[in-house]
Amino acid sequence: MADPDFQRDALQHLNALYNFAMYLTRNPPEADDLVQETYLRAFRFSHRFQPGTHLRAWLFQILRNTFLTFYRLREREAAIAEDGVPDWDTPMFHDTPLDEGGAMEAHTDLERAMRRLPEEFRTVLLLAEVEGMPLEEVARVMACPVGTVKSRIFRAKERLRGLLKDYEKQK
Amino acid sequence: MNDRTPDSDEQLGRRLAAELPRYTAPASLRIAVVQATEPATSRRPAWLSPLLAAAATAMVLAMFMLPVLPRLQPSDPVDQMVRAVVSEHSRALMWGSRQSQVIPTALPWLQEQSGIGLSSAFVGDDRLNFVSAEPVYLLRQRGLAVHYRDVDGHLVSYIVLPAEDLKVPDRARVQIDRFRPALVKDSGFVAWVWRQHNVACFMVSDMVSADDLERFKDYFVRVRTATEPVLAY
Repeated sequence: MADPDFQRDALQHLNALYNFAMYLTRNPPEADDLVQETYLRAFRFSHRFQPGTHLRAWLFQILRNTFLTFYRLREREAAIAEDGVPDWDTPMFHDTPLDEGGAMEAHTDLERAMRRLPEEFRTVLLLAEVEGMPLEEVARVMACPVGTVKSRIFRAKERLRGLLKDYEKQK
Repeated sequence: MNDRTPDSDEQLGRRLAAELPRYTAPASLRIAVVQATEPATSRRPAWLSPLLAAAATAMVLAMFMLPVLPRLQPSDPVDQMVRAVVSEHSRALMWGSRQSQVIPTALPWLQEQSGIGLSSAFVGDDRLNFVSAEPVYLLRQRGLAVHYRDVDGHLVSYIVLPAEDLKVPDRARVQIDRFRPALVKDSGFVAWVWRQHNVACFMVSDMVSADDLERFKDYFVRVRTATEPVLAY
């Protein structure tokens, strides 16, 4: 298990991780599970963390990888189980379906639009704009070059702007 | 809430930072994470681990030392002999006789081997069936054992050992007809102990319950009245 200093430093990011988990899962119990799993993994593999690097980025990276590994797999398995064949082969940059099941209700158009963004776009905006992470840290979390992060931010804002315009027209 | 359409990337970025709701981790989640970080051992009392380690070490040492530790032997000679004959009875009960012989045919051979002669011997009846007779070696002495089995399946061992100076304890004596043998219990078995001439006689069985004991008295009378052991040499 991790040493107490590492644990204390890691726990300082609990709220930020939970907020990120909520936007990924859109479901409080699942966000709880995701954050707990993230911390368990972080403490178990704390020896792999290089002191002096950014702990926050490392934790966000674990959380996102856990989400992609387990939660997406589970969603796909659930979709397959419906009629025995995969019916939800969502391309990477496609919008998230409107039907959100038991997810929490969005309070603003901005939140509603964010929820509709594909995970890759939602994540770059949350990390870069909401959490204020430097692009290098965002790139580390998403395991891609900084240039790709810049491109995704640009495209994510374009998509977000389009969604907000649609909502404005509907009013 | 301002839901206007932003014009620029900078405006949209600022709006995201300012207007997008932030979710705060519930207290229960914080508690769960903190509890998960505490190693299980830290919730134990500090003294528990050394105590368990010491106890485990002592147990291992005891296991290794047990075979070489001096066994507690009864100080009373009668108790020592009873323990020996009970062991012999247990052995016969589990594995049978080593040299199974039939009496009275084998009496001369038994006398030669055991040093104990039987001028008369109980050879069994309708209640107690003869099983076998054999020489034994107990407490560094030669002796004689005759095994019977009653109709209920109880093995009854009659064992004779040389003991010219054996003192049968008065406190354990029981009056049965005209005899007064001592009743001694050991390791879940019960034994009648008496002296007859210059030998010590024992009758061992597992008939320890009150009902069984009454029958065991009867068996004693049958064997005692019909058997006359003597030192042969």
